[in-house]
Amino acid sequence: MEVSYMTPVVPMDFTYNYRVGKYVQRYLDAFKDKKILGVRCPGCGKVFVPPHMFCGACNKKLDDFVELSQEGTLENFTVGHIIIEKGQVSAAESPYILGMIKLDGADSLLLAKVEGVSPGEVETGIRVKAAWKDKVEGDFLDLDHFEPA
Amino acid sequence: MDINVAVAGFNMTPCSSDLVTTRERMTFELSSGLFDDLGITRDDVGTYIIATNDFLDGRTISNVFLDAPVGAYMKDESKVEMDGLNALMYACMRIMTGQYETALVLAFGLTGYQVSPYLHIDYIMDPTYDRQVKLLNELSAAALQARCYLDKFGYSEELLDEIAAKDLSNAALDPYQLRQLSDISKEKVKGSDYLYEPLRELHCYPPTDGGIVVLLASGEKAKELTDKPVWIKGMGQSIDPYYIGDRDLSVSPSTTQAAKRAYDMAGITDPKGQVDVAEISSLFACQEPLLAEALGLLDQGRAADVYASGDTAIDGKLPINPSGGPLGAHPICATGLLRMAEAVRQLRGEAEKNQVAKAETAVVHGQDGVCAQQNVVVVLGT
Amino acid sequence: MRNVGIIGVGYTPVFVSKRKDVSIPEMISEAVDAAFDNTGLTPQDIDAITFGNMHTFEGVNMPHLWGAEHIRSLGKPVMRIATGGTTGMSAFQAGYYHVASGLHDVVMIVTYEKHSEGDAQVGLMGIITPEVMAMLASGIDVTGGKGMGAIGGGSAGGISYQAMSYLNHAGAGIEHIDGIAAMERRNAAKNPYAHLKDPNATAETIAKTPLVSYPIRFGHICPTTDGATVCIIASEEKAKELADKVAWVWAVSNCASDATTGNLIEGLITDPAEQMPCIIAARQAYERAGIKDPKTEFDVIEIYNGFAHQTLMFLEKLGVCEVGEAHKLLEAGELERDGRFPTNASGGVVSTNAIGTSALNRVTECALQIMGKADKRQVPDAKIALSSGFGGCWWSDLLMYGEKKPM
Repeated sequence: MEVSYMTPVVPMDFTYNYRVGKYVQRYLDAFKDKKILGVRCPGCGKVFVPPHMFCGACNKKLDDFVELSQEGTLENFTVGHIIIEKGQVSAAESPYILGMIKLDGADSLLLAKVEGVSPGEVETGIRVKAAWKDKVEGDFLDLDHFEPA
Repeated sequence: MDINVAVAGFNMTPCSSDLVTTRERMTFELSSGLFDDLGITRDDVGTYIIATNDFLDGRTISNVFLDAPVGAYMKDESKVEMDGLNALMYACMRIMTGQYETALVLAFGLTGYQVSPYLHIDYIMDPTYDRQVKLLNELSAAALQARCYLDKFGYSEELLDEIAAKDLSNAALDPYQLRQLSDISKEKVKGSDYLYEPLRELHCYPPTDGGIVVLLASGEKAKELTDKPVWIKGMGQSIDPYYIGDRDLSVSPSTTQAAKRAYDMAGITDPKGQVDVAEISSLFACQEPLLAEALGLLDQGRAADVYASGDTAIDGKLPINPSGGPLGAHPICATGLLRMAEAVRQLRGEAEKNQVAKAETAVVHGQDGVCAQQNVVVVLGT
Repeated sequence: MRNVGIIGVGYTPVFVSKRKDVSIPEMISEAVDAAFDNTGLTPQDIDAITFGNMHTFEGVNMPHLWGAEHIRSLGKPVMRIATGGTTGMSAFQAGYYHVASGLHDVVMIVTYEKHSEGDAQVGLMGIITPEVMAMLASGIDVTGGKGMGAIGGGSAGGISYQAMSYLNHAGAGIEHIDGIAAMERRNAAKNPYAHLKDPNATAETIAKTPLVSYPIRFGHICPTTDGATVCIIASEEKAKELADKVAWVWAVSNCASDATTGNLIEGLITDPAEQMPCIIAARQAYERAGIKDPKTEFDVIEIYNGFAHQTLMFLEKLGVCEVGEAHKLLEAGELERDGRFPTNASGGVVSTNAIGTSALNRVTECALQIMGKADKRQVPDAKIALSSGFGGCWWSDLLMYGEKKPM
């Protein structure tokens, strides 16, 4: 006799309310002025963006905030054909570009969407600039994407 | 350093996309199966270390439901919530103190059918930034790492197809692997869909259900339990920055650091010359040469040549992932221990169709985190 | 097996309900800073790190990855331990084995919890929600015996069975639970790192708090706290080099029961106050440490007590006193700092519960006592200490430490 097993579905949905802490808050506050902030390590001099509390290599606490340029170079990218939502994979409406951008003045790369260039034509090394939402409120999504400079 | 701890035995499930089982049943079958094989009972096991992930098990302190089925009821048990190879390190430490003669390590992931494997990385990500900006997920991160690695030496995407085809052919020879694609070819790999360029579906691990238990024993005890003990010669572990923009994704410094510690303990000064076979937890095709370089098994810039020449094949000069590696199966938390089990099979001459010619020293690798942020390396020897 | 000594402790400056000013890793970094400040050590001195917390409370998987820079771990081995309520002590034990095995010399144990960022019941419900929901979805009656066991396991419901059984065996009354809760809240008032401090707490004031499930009152239950605790341990050689005062670890032990049996069988057919894992772990620890008579040999005791009655219950289970004696010792004032069995001078878990730290705090408080660094909560002449952990579903860890090195 074939045995079939029940598969009860258990949706686990807990809501968490996180505190972003000092560094992310400062970064977001600067968005209200359409500014991008990094933080410089007193040890190695590297500038990190988004800012965080420690330089991992030097184990030094960071508090030297610097304003970065709105422009930079596209150092790396991927073209996405899928989206992953709550762990589930589905096809994207159309391919989109995620880029890692080295803003002038920064040492670390900022991950952002890249628009204004087609997935077939995008290449590393192009110059890109920040494109903000019209209305900025100090929210994560204010810095909407980067586009060719 | 003389660790004097050996793998006395293991029991692993053939991996599947859906094992149609409960965590408790699988645990019981694995541990009782191993006890039967070795002719022991749970009374012979000194201590237990469990490696599963609460988020993937869908319940807090998941291990408290596993104590009875694994045989730890009323005994000393702890839980390492990382890749199982780390749990093995901890179990080994417990034996090294002399307090215990034997330790059982359990690891499994039911990330095939019961829960999405991509949630593992989702929940790892910084909820105050990465999860808000919503651009990073396991696959987009892996793809960025792939392009960074390929661009560094000007490799073409075809290198990924070549690596994946090699791994998947090996996997088709291994009855424990989920992907059994015996007619796989570079062309077939290239024909699979892009997920995040340059990664295609067959360049990436499959969602997998699988599990394993391993019994470690101190020197004397191991020889009592088996006539083929496999010795732990060295162990090491290290970690890279969390922030992905701060990392050079084409290299894995923490793997190199972990390997150095393990090699020093094992007396290995020339990995390429002294290591016979490597089982690496490369979850994506690009990670295999990247991690092999970090382990000192491949010279930087030479990947295209080395793979094309067949050096990494089962009958090659330095076989890498003769089992096929995680492209064949990746039950999250168990993967590093599956690699170890495959290495043990090699060292015991029991790897059948996947057997490499010379297998006396193996290096085994496990990872955790986005783009292998954290890595663990174990050296095994006969 | 090498000797291992505790050489330093670091706490976040406060343990409070809500740390709104910091993110999780930023909060943890404060305790790491404190540990370095207190010992004069730097990240270079640390060989390896063990890390623990009860992650369902924050919804972050393997938070040591996100916090890698904040805990100064780059380039070092980091091992994540997660065992629920006992996590703090399990993480300590992992650190202990890192050193005792000979593999590492100086290890830092990092624990935390930031309860304010999660739903208060989230972590506890997480144990049983999938089981209960699966049962409901399959049409299994959860109102009967098995269901009640499952539901009871994760919250105050099941604990009330335990407390009732304890009171019956011990011949004690709810007023004794009020009394021990009050004593610990008064002790907490002398601990700058405690959460619920009440220098004026009495059995009467506790008795006025609302009843949750007889005999558990609101005043008997631990709070949820935001905080982090760090402990640094070293091999004998390194401890001598790096520290002026050391609390030597004499023995560690652990005994795990099982949730299914623990909740459903032990809880209903046998006795949830029996605490066999604690008895076994204690026996094993005393043997390893050469303790012949737990009734006379300890100067300081720190008991893991998510619920106030557990202090009394575990004192008996650990053999520090006979069954039925603990509440009499309480009445006679012998559990106070100046009594014969100073217990929970820190205020215990019932006063401070950032759950990932809670079991480690028992260790660090004992260590501070032995090192003579416990300030206003110092027990005079503390030479030998005992700490216990409890959690998951009826499992125990134990540690013991002394001023002198073990033989």
